[in-house]
This record gives sequence, C-alpha cells and structure tokens, in this order.
Amino acid sequence: MKRFFHIVAIPIRIVLNQFGDHNPNGMMYVLKENERKVKRLVKKNPFTPVELVQPLIIRANAGDDIEILFENKLPFPAGIHMEEADYDVMDSDGAEVGFNHSSLVKKGKKTTYHFKVNRPGTYPFSDLGNPSSTEKGSNGNGLFGALFVQKRGSWWTHPETGGPITSGPFADIHHPFLPSFREYAWLFHDEMETDDLTGNKPINLMTNEQSESTHAVNYRYEPLGNRKKLVDEGVVCPECDGEEVHHDSWVFGDPATPILRGYKGDPAVVRLVHSGVKETHVFHYHVHQWLKDPSNADAEIIDAQSISPQSWYDIEPLYGLGSMQGSIGDAIVHCHLYPHFEAGMWGMNRIFDTLQDGTQYYPDGTRIKALQPLPDRPKPPKPTKDKPGFPNFIPGKPGFKAPRPPLGIEGGRGLTQLEKNAAIENPRPGAVFADPCGFNPEAPIVEYRVSAIELPIIYNRQGWHDPKGRIFVLDEDLEAVLSGEKEPEPLVIHTPAGTCVRIAFTNLLPEIAGGDVFQMFTRTYEAGFHIHFMKFDGLVNDGANVGWNYDSSVLTGQTIHYEYYADVELKAWFYHDHLFAAHYQQHGVFGSGVIHPRFTTFLDSKTGEPVVEGTEITAVHPLIPDYRDLSLFVQDFTLLYNRDGKPIQPPDYPGSQDDPGVFGVNYKCEPLQFRLKGPGDPAYSFSSYVNGDPITPVFKCYKGDPLRIRLIQGAQEESHSFHVHGMRWKAERPDVETRFESQKHIGISESFTLETLATHAGDYLWTFATEEDLWNGLWGLIRAFDEPVEGLIQLTDQKQRHPVPLLLPEPDGIPPVKAAEIDRPASAEAPLRRFDITAFHVPLNYSKYGEHDPYGIVFAHKEDIDAILNGLKAPEPLILRVNAGEEVEIHLTNALTPGHFPFEDGVWPYPEVKEQAFYPPSLRISLHPQLVLADVKTSSGETAGFNFDQSAGPGETIAYRWYIDHAFGASGLWDMTDIRNHRSLGTFGILIAEPRGSEMLDPVYLTEENKASSIVLKHPFLPETREYVLVMHDGVRLEDKKGNLIIDPADGILGETEEEDLFDTYDQGSRGFNYRTERLIRRLERHEETAWLFSSKAHGDPSTPVFEAYPGDPVTIRLVNPSERRRAHTFRLHGHYWNADAMDLTSEVKSFDGPIITGHTADLKLHYGAGGWYGLSGDYLYRSGNIRWDIELGMWGILRVYKRMQKHLPPLEMKKADPK
Amino acid sequence: MKALSSNERHEEGLIQFVSEHAGAKMLAMTSSFPYFFIGRIIKVMDDYVILSVETTNVAELENREWHLHIHDIEVFYIERDGWPAIPDLKETGGDG
Repeated sequence: MKRFFHIVAIPIRIVLNQFGDHNPNGMMYVLKENERKVKRLVKKNPFTPVELVQPLIIRANAGDDIEILFENKLPFPAGIHMEEADYDVMDSDGAEVGFNHSSLVKKGKKTTYHFKVNRPGTYPFSDLGNPSSTEKGSNGNGLFGALFVQKRGSWWTHPETGGPITSGPFADIHHPFLPSFREYAWLFHDEMETDDLTGNKPINLMTNEQSESTHAVNYRYEPLGNRKKLVDEGVVCPECDGEEVHHDSWVFGDPATPILRGYKGDPAVVRLVHSGVKETHVFHYHVHQWLKDPSNADAEIIDAQSISPQSWYDIEPLYGLGSMQGSIGDAIVHCHLYPHFEAGMWGMNRIFDTLQDGTQYYPDGTRIKALQPLPDRPKPPKPTKDKPGFPNFIPGKPGFKAPRPPLGIEGGRGLTQLEKNAAIENPRPGAVFADPCGFNPEAPIVEYRVSAIELPIIYNRQGWHDPKGRIFVLDEDLEAVLSGEKEPEPLVIHTPAGTCVRIAFTNLLPEIAGGDVFQMFTRTYEAGFHIHFMKFDGLVNDGANVGWNYDSSVLTGQTIHYEYYADVELKAWFYHDHLFAAHYQQHGVFGSGVIHPRFTTFLDSKTGEPVVEGTEITAVHPLIPDYRDLSLFVQDFTLLYNRDGKPIQPPDYPGSQDDPGVFGVNYKCEPLQFRLKGPGDPAYSFSSYVNGDPITPVFKCYKGDPLRIRLIQGAQEESHSFHVHGMRWKAERPDVETRFESQKHIGISESFTLETLATHAGDYLWTFATEEDLWNGLWGLIRAFDEPVEGLIQLTDQKQRHPVPLLLPEPDGIPPVKAAEIDRPASAEAPLRRFDITAFHVPLNYSKYGEHDPYGIVFAHKEDIDAILNGLKAPEPLILRVNAGEEVEIHLTNALTPGHFPFEDGVWPYPEVKEQAFYPPSLRISLHPQLVLADVKTSSGETAGFNFDQSAGPGETIAYRWYIDHAFGASGLWDMTDIRNHRSLGTFGILIAEPRGSEMLDPVYLTEENKASSIVLKHPFLPETREYVLVMHDGVRLEDKKGNLIIDPADGILGETEEEDLFDTYDQGSRGFNYRTERLIRRLERHEETAWLFSSKAHGDPSTPVFEAYPGDPVTIRLVNPSERRRAHTFRLHGHYWNADAMDLTSEVKSFDGPIITGHTADLKLHYGAGGWYGLSGDYLYRSGNIRWDIELGMWGILRVYKRMQKHLPPLEMKKADPK
Repeated sequence: MKALSSNERHEEGLIQFVSEHAGAKMLAMTSSFPYFFIGRIIKVMDDYVILSVETTNVAELENREWHLHIHDIEVFYIERDGWPAIPDLKETGGDG
C-alpha cells in the first residue's frame, strides 16, 4: 500500500514544561495539515507546552511504499534521513554524500522522498543538512521524528477517542488476528538549547549556578529545580523538600513529560528512540521487564537498556501493563543516569484498574482524559463510590506529600475502607493491591533484614576514602561491619527462583548528608529499597515516591516490609534507594540479589559453610553443574579524599554534577599511578610479582569451574566497558545462539550475567577497559588454580582431592621472567599460522589536510616495515586474518626507542584523564587478543598477577600462541604495557577469525592478501564476500600541518566554539577510523555551505576509507573499537541493515550498532549486500550516530557502490557469471 | 504384515521400555516449556507416558499428572535397582 505524507520542516518555539522553559530556536517536522494550527497555537501559548509540538510520529505497515513530500521552511538546506528504510540513495537519502545527487532541500523548496518499509519496527528520521553540534545544529534543536511500522494488516486509533489518527506519539494498534496493543513513542534527546521564562539560561536553585544541560523526552522535561521552587516558596507543601518528592503528583500534579496510559494487563510497546546528539542514556521502566530482542523468545530479560545516539529499541513489557502480578498505579520511566533524571528526563506509565470515560478526576481536580479500552480486552469496571479505582482510593491530600503505604511500616497504619475495597484478598505488609507470591502459595518464604547505614569506607592502600560511605548491610552483620571486623562490600543476597522474598528494611541513615566540597548540605530524611526485576506490588513496594502512588520509603529509624517474588531464574536484581539517589547513591547505596535456579544452595567459597550473601560464593545444585558466583559493581562519581584529607577531583562548586570524583569497583580501586614499584615500568603495573595483588577483588576458582560473573553498575552517570582478558561468554546468557564476546558495555542499573570459565590455570585480568577507568583503578583478577588449595572449596560435583596449602609468591619488585616454553592451546593436528609483527614509531598522517600524529606507534607485519617507513605504504591498524581451526604463533618484536614519545617526563597533558600523575612511557610492548583460546599465563598479552612476563623489551621478541577454535569474527588487539602512553598512538588492531577454508584476496589484483582493510573473501561453499575492516577509535592527539596541537572537540566544532570546560575528560581527543579522520571543520573552512560537508563533488573523497563494491556484492564489515575513551559511540551505515548478532540468524535486524566503547566488536553482514534491498549504486555514508562530537570530528566515510564495471575493481565470481 | 521400519522399531522400543518401568521414577527433558519433569510413571497410553510429576522447572506446574508424548522426550533417565537415584529436589529458599 502507498502512504503519502506532506511534511514541513519549520522553525518553532518549543516550550518544554509548564514552567515556561523553552527553546526559542526550536525546529520540528510537522504534517502540512497541522502547520498553520501549530504555529497559531504556539503564538497564542508562548510559555505553555502545545500538544501538537511534539516530535512527528507517523505510522505505516510493513510492505508499504511511503511517499513523503518534504518542504523546507528552515533557513538552511535540510532533509529527512530515514533509518532502517529501503530507498534510492540518489534521491531519498536526505543528505548529500560523496558523488550522489543532493537529496537536501533548500529553504522554501520541496522534494519527494520514496521509502520502502519491509520490516515492522521503528524507523527514526532526522536531518543531515546541518550536522553542527552547536546550538545552531538541527538535531539538537528538535529536527527529528519517527515512522512506526506495524505488522502487515494493522490499523490504528486514537487512545482517547477510538477514532482515526494520522500522527502523534500515542496510538492503539489493532490487527485482524493479533492482540491490540498500546503504542507509546519515547524519544530521548539531549543538549537542546533552553531558556527559562525570563529568557535567560535556567539556574539551579540549589547551587545558584547554570542548570545542567537539557535532557528531555518528546520535547518535554520536568527538572527538579522548577518544582523545588514551588516548595521553597511555600506554594505547595513547604515541609516536603526532597529529591524524590519532585516525582510526586500529590504535591505538584502531573508532570509535563509523557504519561503512558493504559489498563492493567494491556499489551504495550514503548518505541524507544535516541534522537539526541551526545549522551548514551539508560532507559529504565519500573515494575516491568522485557526481552532484549522482542523478536526472539530466547533473548535475555532486561529492565534497563543503554541507548546511544541515533539508535532505537522496541520495549514490549512481558505480561502487559502491570506485569505478571497485575500491579496498578504509576510506574516511573526514566533515564537512570541520575544527573539526567534530576534534570527532568522522566515520565510515567499510568496503569488504571477502572474505566476512564472522561468523567473522572484526579485527586487535585484535574480531569482524567478518556481512555478507550482495547477492543479485545475485558472492559475494566466502572469506578464507583466504594471502588473509585486508582488513584482515588489512596488517602492522600493534594498539595501534600503522598501518604505512606498501609500495613508495611512497623508501627504504621492499617487500611482505610476504600483501601480495603481495592485490596487483594489477603493484604499483608508489602502486598496490598497486587499479590506477587500468590501464584505459588507453596513457595518458600525467605526474609532478609537489611539496613542502610553510613560509615567511612577506605578504597585503597593509599588511603583514598569516602568518609560518608552509605551502604546496605544485613542486620546480622551490622556489628561486624561497623566494628571493622567485616570489610564493607556491596550487599549481594542469594535466593533460588520460586521463592517469596521479604525484606525488612530499616533506615539507619543520618538525616543530613553533604555539606562539603563535593555536595551541598542536604536533608536525607527518608530512604527506601527500590528493586529491579522481581515481581511486586508497585503501589506500595516500589521504594519510591512517584506519581499518585504511595511514598514507599521510611523515615530515619523506621522499618518497612516489602514482598517480592522471583518467578524464574534471573540474573542479579539491582536495588538501591530511590529517594535521594542523585545525592548519595555514589556513596555506595546499592546492592543486588541473585535469583539462582530453583533448588540451589549457597556456600562460602572459603569454608564451605552455608551463606545467604556475598560477592563471591559457590552455588551448589543437585542437577546442573555447580558454579562460582562472582559479583562486580562499577561506580563513578565516587567522592573520595586522599590520606591527607584532600578531596580527589572535586567539582568546581559543591553540588555540581559535572563529573565529580573518581571511580570504584565494589568500594575499592587500585590506581595505576601507584603501581610503579621495582623498575618503575608501566608494563608491570598489573604484575603481582612487582606490585602485589590489587586491593580490588581477586576472585578464586579452579581451572574449568563454571563461573557466573554478575556485572552491575551501581553509580552514577557514565558508560563503562567490562572486559576479561582470556575469557569469553555468550553475549546473551540464556541464548546459546548468540555470539561470543569478552567485553560488555554497561550503564547504571543494567545487569548482566557472564557465564564463562578459566580454560587454563593462571591469573585472568578483568578490567573496566576505557583508559580513564583503568588508570584510576578499575581492575582486578580471577585466579584459577589447577590443584586444590586450602581456602577454596572444590565444587561438590567434582572429584574431591586433598588440598595443599596456598603459597603465593611474595611481591619483591622484580618482574617475572618470560615463559621458557608456551603450551600449545590447540591439538597437535591444528595447522599453524605464524605472524611476525613489529612495533615501531612512525608518524601517522590522519588526513589530506595534514592532520597527523608525529608520535605514532604501529604494529606491522615484518615484510611491510620498510615500505611503511619509506612512505610507500600507508600504515593501517594491524589486521590479522586467521581461519577457524588454526593455531596462531605470534612473534612480536619491539623496535621502540627512547626519545620518540610526546611526553617523556611521564605526564600526558592532553587528552587527559582524571588524576593525572607520573607514569613514564614504557619502552616495552605487548599484544592482547580477544576471544582466542590461549594459556593466560603466557599468551594473553599482559603481565598480570603471577603470570609470566608477556611483554617484549626494546630489541626483544616475545612469542604468543593462540587457538582460533571457531569463526568468531572480529576481535580487538591492543597493547597492554602502557595504556597511557601507547594506545592512542596507534598500538591496536584487529584479529578476524574467518570460516575454515577461507582464502583472502586483494580486491584489485585478486592475489593473496590478508592484511588489508578491504579484501575479497573466497570460500569453497560460501559466497564470495567483500570484507571491510573499520577500527573506530578516539582519544587521539593530532597536530595540524603546521605542527600546532589540535585540541578536540573544541577545535573541530562547526560554528561558534563553546567553552572548553564543557568537555568531560573522556570527550577529549580527535577520532576517526583506521588512523584516518575527516574533520568537517576543514571542509567548512574551504566552503561555508553546510549542505556540502559530505560531498565529494565539493571537497573530494574523505581521508577515511572509501570502500568499493558492485550492487548486490555480499559485504561483511568487521568493526572494532580497541581504543580508548568512555564516551560511547553508535555506528550507522545508510541504506543497509544487518542482524544485530551476526551469529544468531533469529536476532533482530537493525541499521545501527552500539553502544560502542573500548573493547567492542561486531560483524555486520549486510542484508542483500552492497546497495541494500534495491541493490542500487551510489555513495552510502557510514558514520557515528553521535552528532556531538563524532561526525564533526571525522568519524565518517563512504561505501561506494558502482553501477558500471570499474577497471580497477574486478567483479566477484557471481557477477562474472551474471554480469547483469 | 508389513515389516517395521527402523524408525518405527526405535519408537516402539521406547514405548516398550517406558511401559516396563511403570511405578519407577523418571527424569524426562523436552525441548518445550517447562523443559524437565521428575515424577513416577503411572502408565503408558499409546505413545504417551503419564507421569505423576513432583518437580518441573516452575513450582506452579508441579504435583499434578502430566501426559508427555514419549517421542517429544529428548533425554530421559529411569531409576532402577543398582543405578544412581534421581536427586531429591527440595525447595529451601537456598539455605541448604
């Protein structure tokens, strides 16, 4: 079916909330039929939000042909670039890329775009005519929207009227034989220009400094600061100041941000889109869980989703609204990054239990809009005087804080008559209006008594400490923890599935917090226990104070009872306080429970005694293999002081959310600056022989023990990248079809179970792998023994052997020796492939504009060294291609010499990291691989723990042996001897495990070639495929052609340069692909037309790789990000899509990959090959999805698909056979 | 009479084997939810085994009779004299 939309891009004033915060220079897409109306309404309402001013959401069915007449009324050429769709890149790309015709539209002009939408899902669109990251750019100002594509045969109605709907963020979707569902658009966006009612930049009332950047949903945000004004000025509830109270509708009425309305049990989809330009957010939705990939029933269950710019996810809550237990009330939906949450990036899912026909009112007198029941669902009962339904049975008082829940609080109140009428059959503490354990009346009940306390926590041996640590602790351990007998660690409680869990939570926190260099003095008079994943009654049990719900927290000294049920085995369920989370969660107020398989019991790994809690335990099961259960919590914004009481990385002013403090893992850190004992060489920073074991967790196991690593982020705002050297796991634990990985991006509140094992005895280095995290001490070890030792029980299903005393070497500052012999990780029959690699200094030319790194260090194949040094061959990051089944022998020779490092004095000033300190450049070198099988003691490429030396000194050669047991695709390679002075200079590369029997050919000469970034892969059974390597990297220090230092991002921003202190440490540095960049500023200097920034007609081809193919050529992109910063990226390729997991044919199909951060790997096998579904020629842009600051800074290039045969590019075999 | 094919002989043999162990405790695994069953074999009807199921993956589906299509069982084990016993799975809330 053909669908037609006339869309106009217009300048518009966007009012973001009822307080009059607005963007005077907003831009939006609007349907032509609404253009006049929207302009009139905005003119009439300059300081209140206008409903029509929302991101444009249009709908279609799979298989439809979409025609968009696009009209531009903005003062620059603009367009619509549609993600996920199939189209002709020459006329419908919404961009001007390479040698394509422009599909941008000048001011006052029109064009017609044609799209084919072949798959149901979300098709975000945005502008590429003005990719500036400044306040002048289009995306930051609102020029985005989305097309929602439904299953074939669907239709949609207005949720209020039941009538037809042409656009809008909410709709009810119907189908002849599938259930109707609620559809909600949830478009995160950030960095929008915002003025307050007075036309000035909003001020944070607590700090009297400028407010945080705007973090919004669907052009709306509801910041704490605004609502606090009403409290401070006594307009509402003068007594109830507090962080969480700003989510309380009893006090303030409903927020301006989206309220997703439905009835209990309604099927629903939240179409989550990141239309913003910069941050990687974490979407979290209370009370509900969903499959990470809704199209795949094997996918893992999640309740938080990291989302990087220009990416999207469909969130389908399992069991419908209210989840399995049928919870009613308000489930808050928010970005879990606390500074964003506080800045207003939240809304609610409101679940009614009675029919709303438009005649009812909220407690504050606001009319409840009608809500049509879904036609195939039972009609909810009409509200009556005795049973008025949510929220009108709750005994609250508008203008005052929400009431506390009945029954749960010790010494608290019982039920009112209205509450009794609304309650379940057997209301009890923690289960009043929904019965989480009612499914299984026989379920065993386990109660944990937990308190939140304040105590000083010492983070490392250098005396870094948090004098105001706040943690959860079991009541039975209170004395031991407070007396120092038991080391504080995040509380992890262990429970089998099918258990009814009760928590008696006591708030023992002091009523005040802060009042120091980091934080403002704050009353923290109430606390709660908010949990993820489990089933519970959201109204009384959320540990929060949200919407028209109860305030399910307690005052200092009070105890409240909660009840939860684990219906199935889960990973770690995260818990934390929700009342003052932005203020003190980074002090340690987080923990987790782990829901193990039914019938599991838990033992202390040292003694074998039964335990109920611990970050390192042994789980024993009568049927399935026993396993070690290991928990790691990463933290940022960790507010520490050094031994002398000096604050570490304090913010510019107390209360600033601008990345205060440093980092921790399980309340510990082991910074590398203190790991320079012995020879003082960074190459031995991880060596326990030289520096002793770290204070961070050193987990213990035996070789071959199943391990389940529970990975959680406890605090507070940033992305992290977890990596275990020498181990790997399936990307989604329950789904064995997913790919192997050895790295995981994590944002706050996400939870992952990584199921793995130690294949060899030795010390496995785990890290949070981005440079600043690792530098500041986020690493530790997993120590695998091959013989039973005292102090570590053996798994009960293993043959029990007599343990020997555990005798570890004494650290003496002397580096370990190299291994005399390296065990072969493969069988003797495995073919051996040898690579001779040398690391040496060579200046790297990053662009045709003379931007270069004079201090580059590369890994190169021995036979290429002369050509590279003589300038005959342009260096690329090291590429090793190996066939599955082969064993690899690496001989790495070190040709580094003193005097070639930019900062020989040992302090690297730019790009910087927090806590700069002396760390002299190492002259040693190593090469660490991901995903291979190897003996960690000799061949993992880092000298960690009590392993052998795995680095080569100057002039030396070190050997490694790796077994490529299957075709796992792309894996990263990087040096581990000096993460500060080496990596961003170029010491990284990629190893690709190809299918067995592959031959690699040069795409031009068809001769053997396995080292180039573009090759043809030939295989006896598989199609000939073009393979392109993209090494995405950042943190680069470049100089311009005159030798002047380039300070990115500031120097690369298009338009007015912003203040430099806007940039976080981890934003610093230049970036690109494969030692190349194409910074747009250089193009803008040549010509001021922003529409031509990607045009090869105007500027020639970019310096970044231009890959070449013919229409329909099978293409695989091997994408890695081995280096080095914490700002996550998205990868996008116009006009193409692929399976999100290359190994899993049933995985969802998408046109982006991300979030991408150090250690990320991906294999993008383009559906339908080059040129996409239509197989059309043209220039297809590949790029980062981050408008701020990646695209500007050169993270883009071109996939060129030729229509006609080119002399220099022979066709693939299949083309030869059928030249048409 | 038509001779049985090898597949038919295999299927008949399975039915026969399960029938012979009526009253014994069986562990059966299937590829579909709830994946595993432990219980006493009550009897075999045609190619279905009727199990008095004590344990499955989720408590809500226990302590009832299940009719399992024998040819949908991918892995099974039947307790016999002299062979290891199927573990007794107790729900204790994890405290051993």
